[in-house]
Amino acid sequence: MLTRRHALLLSTALFAAPSYAADDIKIVDNVELSGTGVTSGSMWAKGVDLAVKEINAAGGILGRKIALTHQDNQSQAQVAKAVATKAIDDEPYVMLGPIFSGDVNVSMAVTEDAETPMIMGGEAANLTQQGKKYLFRTSFSQSSAMPKVANYMQKQGMKSITVVWIANDFGKGGRDTMVKELAARNIKVAADISTEPGQMDYSAVVVNVAKAQADALFVYLNEEESARFLIALRKLGYDKPVIGETVLASQRVIELAGPAANGVKAHVGLSVDAPNRLVQEFGAKFKAATGFASDHNGIKGYTAAYLIKAVTEKIGKFDRKLFASTLHTASFTAKDQPGLLMDVSFDAAGDLDRESYLVEVKDGKQVITETLPPLGKK
Amino acid sequence: MMRFLLIAAAVIAIYFLPAGLKNYGIYIVTLWSVYVIAGMGLNLTVGYAGQISLGQAAFWGIGAYTTAIALKAGLPFLAALPLAALLCFGVGLLLGFPALRVQHHYLAFATLGFNILVYLVLRNEDWLTGGSFGINNIAEPTLLGWRISRPLDFFQFTWIATVAMGVLMALLLRSPWGRAFAALRDNPIRAESVGIDTTFYTLLAFAIGAAYAGVAGAFFACLVGFIEPAPFGVNTSLSMLLMVIAGGSGRFFGPAIGAMIVVLIPEWLRFAAEWYLAIFGVMIVVMMVWLPGGILSLPERLRGAK
Repeated sequence: MLTRRHALLLSTALFAAPSYAADDIKIVDNVELSGTGVTSGSMWAKGVDLAVKEINAAGGILGRKIALTHQDNQSQAQVAKAVATKAIDDEPYVMLGPIFSGDVNVSMAVTEDAETPMIMGGEAANLTQQGKKYLFRTSFSQSSAMPKVANYMQKQGMKSITVVWIANDFGKGGRDTMVKELAARNIKVAADISTEPGQMDYSAVVVNVAKAQADALFVYLNEEESARFLIALRKLGYDKPVIGETVLASQRVIELAGPAANGVKAHVGLSVDAPNRLVQEFGAKFKAATGFASDHNGIKGYTAAYLIKAVTEKIGKFDRKLFASTLHTASFTAKDQPGLLMDVSFDAAGDLDRESYLVEVKDGKQVITETLPPLGKK
Repeated sequence: MMRFLLIAAAVIAIYFLPAGLKNYGIYIVTLWSVYVIAGMGLNLTVGYAGQISLGQAAFWGIGAYTTAIALKAGLPFLAALPLAALLCFGVGLLLGFPALRVQHHYLAFATLGFNILVYLVLRNEDWLTGGSFGINNIAEPTLLGWRISRPLDFFQFTWIATVAMGVLMALLLRSPWGRAFAALRDNPIRAESVGIDTTFYTLLAFAIGAAYAGVAGAFFACLVGFIEPAPFGVNTSLSMLLMVIAGGSGRFFGPAIGAMIVVLIPEWLRFAAEWYLAIFGVMIVVMMVWLPGGILSLPERLRGAK
């Protein structure tokens, strides 16, 4: 029964505005906490939370604490724009997120006008090709990741590939880039199969995959769809190599697909199983804090928050313009900035470069089979 | 007279009110205003003509894409806007002609199918719509050489359009057409027996409702500056139907109140952090159970309770 005391507590909880000290650093996270992007968004938000908690516990940035607020953009562009506008009205030091490219597209116009840095989780290639000066990535773009996957296929002597992709901007962008890379290596696309976001039944898709009789299958879907697809694929007994990029071999997919994920090979930009002490320590901390393993989005969120610290310490003051201009073409080592987990460098467009991995899923775990150097070191 | 003065005062107050708001507040109020236009159209179809439509977001999308494509092709906003409305009116007639042979939930499913069809066209016809990537950097409207780029100016422009669309709707509802709409909603057999061509009037209400969605779509495209297929799916059609029903279906100011519920309340509830959508859901359930006639039926409900 709702007593007066409960009602009072509830109303206090509902109406209490977050209170921060005047010299706190305002950071707003414009993130997909509901709607189709919730799987990615909630991982990202937990990563950000963990980093902010650590940074604040260690004394903050240049002696100032971070005051972080997560704002749900419902995975809808018009709401993401509202959130970005609301964030900018409050004059944050940096805006984090969003992750879905549609949401990034509308938000980056707002942060650009306000000259406020935005560190986002989108992977679509076109985001950083529009000449924005305040936009930065936390992971590879599709145009830097797909060549690595195509190289791997070429090395394995594959001559034909079936491509299964999800019909949203993420899937279409990945598919277009991949098909181009395959053509450049004279690898034939045996079948080009699009699937629906939120699709439940993949039996027809799987039959078409089998019919195509390609040397291998490239799968580019979001997390839940990847898991459902893998389960359907294994039921059919498909035995050709199944190759993906980041998502297909992510912890979330392994968790959802269970044994069906075993045998999947993928290029992974970020993985808590990477042969790297800092990354593995992060994985353990994340699991202790949340009860589940982090995927690439958790690492993206975590490193996004630490990137704010790294850049601000490099410039020695809180200056949004200087932050953005410094981060373009900046490089950081994990030795100096352990929160970034890996050595990383940024280019003039806001794209980043760092080492990445080829992995195989064995017994429900990502096993790193090869470490690929940063593109810039080749 | 008193009622007219009150409405005029409210219209003027809303015109000036957002001047005190920051950009976020102005954006949300503009979004509300856009939803009001689409809601008015759906209210005509649902509330006045008595047809259930689950395809309003499809017309909204057609309006938004027509405007975006026309603006990209160099057409001025004032040419793109009627183009969007006319195209939606035409498509509304084309869809309505076969679809309106059925009514109620059958019509709901026919329009739902249409909405899915439009969504697929928007997503798959890359050459025209940009496919999943959508259309980015949609220009702000330009009026006689003046680019409406300040958020407050854009709101006031949208609000003037909303009021104009409202006045047109009021005139329509007071005309013999409006009375015919209401007659066929209340009793189609009696309406037909007094000589009202029910097919013609239902079709007309549906197509005019679609044209309103087209106008709303034109403003939406310019407000957000980026469109992709996602906002024009069935979920939005459901939200719009909720808007009409929660405000008060068949009541003139229903869509304005309903749009407040759908657009403003979730934003206002943000202080409740991760609970905000859950609270919103509970509010809707409670409201629908207690006030099935919508917010505007509250006075009658209170009078009835006495």
